[in-house]
Amino acid sequence: MAAKEEPRILERITSQFRIKGEVRRRGRIWIDVPTEGFVDFCKWLKEQGFEHLSAISAIDWPVEGKFELAYHLWSYQDKILITLKVKIDRQNAVIDSVTEVWDGSAQAHEREIHELFGVKFEGNNNLTPLFLEDWQGLPPFRKDFDWREYVRGKYYDRQNERERVYYD
Amino acid sequence: MTCSGFCREGRKRDNRRLKKGAKVTVKESTKLKRLIKAIWIFNWFNSCGFIELVPVVASRWDMERFGMIIVGSPRHADVLFIAGYQTLKSIKRAQRVYEQMAEPRVVIALGACTMTGGMYWDSYNTIKRLSDYIPINMYIPGCPPRPEAIFEACEKIFQHVKGMD
Repeated sequence: MAAKEEPRILERITSQFRIKGEVRRRGRIWIDVPTEGFVDFCKWLKEQGFEHLSAISAIDWPVEGKFELAYHLWSYQDKILITLKVKIDRQNAVIDSVTEVWDGSAQAHEREIHELFGVKFEGNNNLTPLFLEDWQGLPPFRKDFDWREYVRGKYYDRQNERERVYYD
Repeated sequence: MTCSGFCREGRKRDNRRLKKGAKVTVKESTKLKRLIKAIWIFNWFNSCGFIELVPVVASRWDMERFGMIIVGSPRHADVLFIAGYQTLKSIKRAQRVYEQMAEPRVVIALGACTMTGGMYWDSYNTIKRLSDYIPINMYIPGCPPRPEAIFEACEKIFQHVKGMD
């Protein structure tokens, strides 16, 4: 592998799309991507060799009022991991699905994030719950989901001597 | 207790030219005695629960010398072992497994997580009191329980069944 491959790739991306990015360290690039034209950008990246979508992570920023989605892409050719960071509105958490680009691997990750954070992926045809059955309440991975309160209400019994402590 | 033509007694009586389709009665105590000779186990394990019971099956502790074997279907099982934390999703499947088991049946819960949620006591998705969902005959505490503890529990079943005569 040629040395200093990362700046060259970042340069290619930023010149093509006019978006900000940085080389974090060897083999790691972070890019901030706007929601407009996001899927087209992903398609282009895949053509550039980033054909493996390792994971999609979601980060909740309640003060800022945003969800941050991080798409981790791996290129077998260049041995580089690119992280795409997309921020979407927390109140209206909708983003275009990348299932048409990475298909199956994107499908499962999007389904999970939809279940645990409540982000809607437009274009993903199967967002049925994966782990939680008959779930009522906020998506549990949101920061404003009060799990102590939820557990108290759903599982504990105030009359039970050993569980009373959780109400004090 | 009635038994249709498929079980062992049914076949024996068939040889004596019993009328086809006739019901054969098996004494409850006879049926229980059979349980002493061979405990057939069905495992319902989540997470680490399975790994902790494997030593009991393997050669060092070797539960088969007591006639205990693991069966592939709950319909063949006398005893249901539940181990590992149970989520709301998995306990529903466990209930279905339990309902498929033939009487007399025994349910044994292994380990702290199974009984109370263990370290997941405040998780939004793990059940806290197993007996709210399934009738449990015996609890074996521990994280994990020792193989000897499991044998002791099974010995208690043997003694219990013997005492029922």
